[in-house]
Amino acid sequence: MPMTSSIRTRARALALALSFASLTVAGCKLDPKVPEQRHSLNQAELAKNPDLAGDPQAQATLSGALGMLFGTPAEPAYLRVADWIDDGYDPNLGGYDELTADEWDALVADNEVHFVRQLAAIDAGAFDDVARPLYAVDLWRRWEQHLALLEPDGDEPGMQPDDLLDPDDEKYGTWRDEAKRLFTGFYPTMRETADMYRQQCQHCHGVSGGGDGSTAQFLEPRPRDYRPGIFKFTALKDKSHPRRQDLARTLREGIYTTSMPSFARFSEARIQGLVDYVRLLSRRGETEILLANDFEAYSEDVDSSLALEKIRDTYLFVNDRWPTDDEKVIVVEGEVPEPTPESIARGKQLFLGGEGTGANCASCHGVAGLGNGISATEIDPETEKPVLVKDEWGNPIAPRNLTHGIFRFGRRPIDIYRRIYSGINGTPMPAHIGMQITLDDGTKREIDENDIWDLVHYVQYLGTVDIEPAVKLTANAMAAARAGHDDHDHEHGHGPGQHTHDDDETDDHSHDTQSDGAAVGGH
Amino acid sequence: MNWILSTFERLWVTALFLAVPILGVWTWVIADRYGWWFPENVSSYGDQIDHLFYVIMWMVAVTFVITEVVLAIVILYFTERKQGRSTYTHGSHKLELIWTAVPALLLVFIAFSQMEAWNDVKIDLPRGVATAEVPYTVDEPIFDVWASQFDWRVRYPDENGNFEGAGVIESPYDIYVPVDTRVVFRLRSRDVLHSFFVPNFRLKQDAVPGMAIPVWFEAQKTGSYDLICAELCGWGHYKMAGRVHVLPKDEYAAWLATARREHRSNGADDLVALGDGDDDDDE
Repeated sequence: MPMTSSIRTRARALALALSFASLTVAGCKLDPKVPEQRHSLNQAELAKNPDLAGDPQAQATLSGALGMLFGTPAEPAYLRVADWIDDGYDPNLGGYDELTADEWDALVADNEVHFVRQLAAIDAGAFDDVARPLYAVDLWRRWEQHLALLEPDGDEPGMQPDDLLDPDDEKYGTWRDEAKRLFTGFYPTMRETADMYRQQCQHCHGVSGGGDGSTAQFLEPRPRDYRPGIFKFTALKDKSHPRRQDLARTLREGIYTTSMPSFARFSEARIQGLVDYVRLLSRRGETEILLANDFEAYSEDVDSSLALEKIRDTYLFVNDRWPTDDEKVIVVEGEVPEPTPESIARGKQLFLGGEGTGANCASCHGVAGLGNGISATEIDPETEKPVLVKDEWGNPIAPRNLTHGIFRFGRRPIDIYRRIYSGINGTPMPAHIGMQITLDDGTKREIDENDIWDLVHYVQYLGTVDIEPAVKLTANAMAAARAGHDDHDHEHGHGPGQHTHDDDETDDHSHDTQSDGAAVGGH
Repeated sequence: MNWILSTFERLWVTALFLAVPILGVWTWVIADRYGWWFPENVSSYGDQIDHLFYVIMWMVAVTFVITEVVLAIVILYFTERKQGRSTYTHGSHKLELIWTAVPALLLVFIAFSQMEAWNDVKIDLPRGVATAEVPYTVDEPIFDVWASQFDWRVRYPDENGNFEGAGVIESPYDIYVPVDTRVVFRLRSRDVLHSFFVPNFRLKQDAVPGMAIPVWFEAQKTGSYDLICAELCGWGHYKMAGRVHVLPKDEYAAWLATARREHRSNGADDLVALGDGDDDDDE
């Protein structure tokens, strides 16, 4: 009996092992199926347009139009209108067309670093060792076509690596030269960049760039929604759309102390490709919002040719909004001024000055720059409690605590200057240049470049001060403000402003209210 | 259940267990050829670290091979060949003494032999006044490195050595240092634990929130080396990379001067002046 049971056990073990092995083999052969991704309509805009929300036919028209103009997540492509074809303008080429000669040289030099192994393998003649780069379907297709030239074709012998690629055309070097040029001159296609976006950006920024990826809800601040076409950080005035260089800078540097890291580990070509794709998503989103707001233009009762014209006009209008020149770049004449005690003192006066008498910074950033000014919050009409004001994307936004000395747009003096000069797009931070102020002696004037430099120097100074006195200063100021404003919510026993004339008593009564922090700091 | 093995099975199991040390040693022999071994050491104290590694590796390797071979011999010769009663033993006092005392002595040996390396790398930081030989000290670090989820920011002081204020340069990812110089920097974290790891320097130091930890190295060869985070710090840990660029001293000085000049940019270098410079339409 023991013998048979042992044979049975072994047979069972063998069968189990075989089935595991076959499963493993089958598993390796299976190509994982990636679900096809689709752009979805901007739900916030739909909510604002009940007509459109209640009209599936019009929604389908809108989706179709956007698909025609901008392609799908897998195959993104701008539609080239007839004029563009005549002018030789193809937005799909992106930076390949737009980069200057210098920028292109830097891109090639960077490619030489990033493809160093592939280039070495080509030099060594080990063509099978050329590794396939990530996110490079089109590059790889071109490489395989190029490699096929070495194979004999019927009776024709294959090419040798050092043969001239095309003896009749001086433009081409040897097969090897051209093989290396595939890599050194690499600029990603829209499709390749979309692959990269899917892996590197989409989990925060979402399929359609709506800032609604799967990790977005855990982040503070929230990832950018590209669709309104508003980008916080540019070097430009007049709330202009960003240039290619502005977006590339954000990708290279990241946005410090947010979840947007630096992507400097990727090559320049990749970053420029991502700029192209972010711009495509943003133009798509802008076109969508404009069309959604003009729903009547393509609803059922409109002649379809008129609707097409409307869509085309919107498409061209959005395209023209994106600057390709330096017209709006904020530049100062000559050298950047150095901070002096006088300029810091002038800056402080402007910083603390209220609306009409100064730059009104303290109203949001607080008198000590802690980001706790009186305008930083508003009263929520439902709960009647103070909440942070919202930015244009609908997210709560806190004014920067300037005592941390962290500047998200960069800490070069010109970066801080540009922020104060033109404000931060999509946020309550306004442009300060040209703001009307009335001085103590009654004269009226506008905030000019020198005033902004004074403010820059004061802000830089705030980043160096010891935080402890700043906290006390703010606490005192808030206590004074509480004493000044009198109680407005008598019926709530724990209201922050109840017994304002006696600070100590206020502390005892006002746990869980926002006066806690200030009161603690005041001791 | 019948646990008696046939001769064939006994040989088979012995070979299986013998394969462990054989494959282990074989992997070690070929590792260098496939680039699985250490990256090139370019730091002054790298040899000390590597030496310690090799001392410990040889101790462990010899012990490993001996124990594995003994295990195989035991399987081959002492496997029960017939069913019967078990015999019991209380063990060998002498053997127990030996296998306790030998590892204890080895541990004491390691503890003492590593002291010099630990002192040189972690304790003997250049203090006091900077000199020509030691241009930077703990009191005068060359830069600060701030780790945060998920990148490295390096912060260079202004001309007067201040780490706060208008002249401070801050940049992500790329760190520039002079060659053949004792470079001291302070490592800090903004959020959670990170670890500053440059394999080529044999340098690994945790960044701890709330602490400014002085770290030093002296790179002896110019080039660009990978910096990675070696402490799981969150979902983006894998992307927390950087590059340390070791420059010749004059190039480093030139780089710093350029960086300071660019820091004081008036914005004109952000102009692109889109021309038709790119006319080679070889598409």
